[in-house]
Amino acid sequence: MSGAPHYPFPPARAYRLNRCLYAIKSDSTFCARFLADPHAAGAEMDLSEAERAALSPLDRDALVRLGGHPYLVFMADLRLRMARDPAALEYF
Amino acid sequence: MLVGAFACAHTPQLLIRPPTEDRDLVLRVHTAFARVKERLAALRPDVIAIIAGDHIEAFFLDAVPALAVYVGTECAGTFGPYRYRLPIHEPLARAILEQGVERGFDLLYTQAARLDYAFYVPLHFTMPEPAVPVVPLHVNVYLPPQPTPRRCHEWGAALGEMLRARPERVVLMASGGMSHFPGTDRYASPDVDYDRQLLDRLQGGRGRELAALTGEELDKTGNVELRTWITLLGAVGDARAQVYCYEPSWHHGNAVVEWPL
Repeated sequence: MSGAPHYPFPPARAYRLNRCLYAIKSDSTFCARFLADPHAAGAEMDLSEAERAALSPLDRDALVRLGGHPYLVFMADLRLRMARDPAALEYF
Repeated sequence: MLVGAFACAHTPQLLIRPPTEDRDLVLRVHTAFARVKERLAALRPDVIAIIAGDHIEAFFLDAVPALAVYVGTECAGTFGPYRYRLPIHEPLARAILEQGVERGFDLLYTQAARLDYAFYVPLHFTMPEPAVPVVPLHVNVYLPPQPTPRRCHEWGAALGEMLRARPERVVLMASGGMSHFPGTDRYASPDVDYDRQLLDRLQGGRGRELAALTGEELDKTGNVELRTWITLLGAVGDARAQVYCYEPSWHHGNAVVEWPL
């Protein structure tokens, strides 16, 4: 196991990527746009080709490697799954 | 006065269960939450001061506070289909902010920040009836550099002193923990042994020792959120923890704990 932290300082170069993950997680209208057209939504967020490719289909390892904050990657993924198939979930 | 202290897991799968989660385990955690709710009914708090780490919901990378106090008239947020709105106990929130700053804690305050599910999930399950107002207290757990465990403990000690001097009956609740690694390659390997060892120490009234943990150790063991517990431990001193449940799932050490005061 490497000594690198699980939650490193989010590198400034990944600000736009993290902003996109944050919008998927926390902005339901952006999340809907992303589901409808991930590439266009990524372009709207000014993402690079590599960042857009890592988002669709969502590739956790690639996103973290690009500087995505692991928690944002996790929750963006969970939100997309919740939005795609809400009937698969049990609500308490 | 400070009349009660609790720590509750808040993992979203307890509120919205995907098929990947063991339903019986989730229900056992709910049973522990129900015990907390009963205890709250008996303790008759006027207000619940809830310490949680905003999960990059109110505070994105545009501005990252270490410690924050919510001082609006109310706080609100959403998670999936859940829409929640809770009144804030303004006099207590302002007292914590003003006295906290007076004591040397450079607190951020907000009158409008969105309330993350980390605050909401324990309250969804444990809020007594009729509901009482809250004071949300944020501790940065996910965006390095986070406040040190020692600083969290000092803030909690100050909170404890302030709350004991207040006329309201206050319950302090820490939300979060225990070991989990969301979004990392260790997601499926929570450090259950570490959690059990910590719970042993807490049951023995040795919570003070957690102030000496390092941020590195918390990260390594999937316990970055333990900062909310350590804050609470500053307030409860040497009280012994009573563990209502420790239910490790395949990815998360779900704990519900009371410190009877």
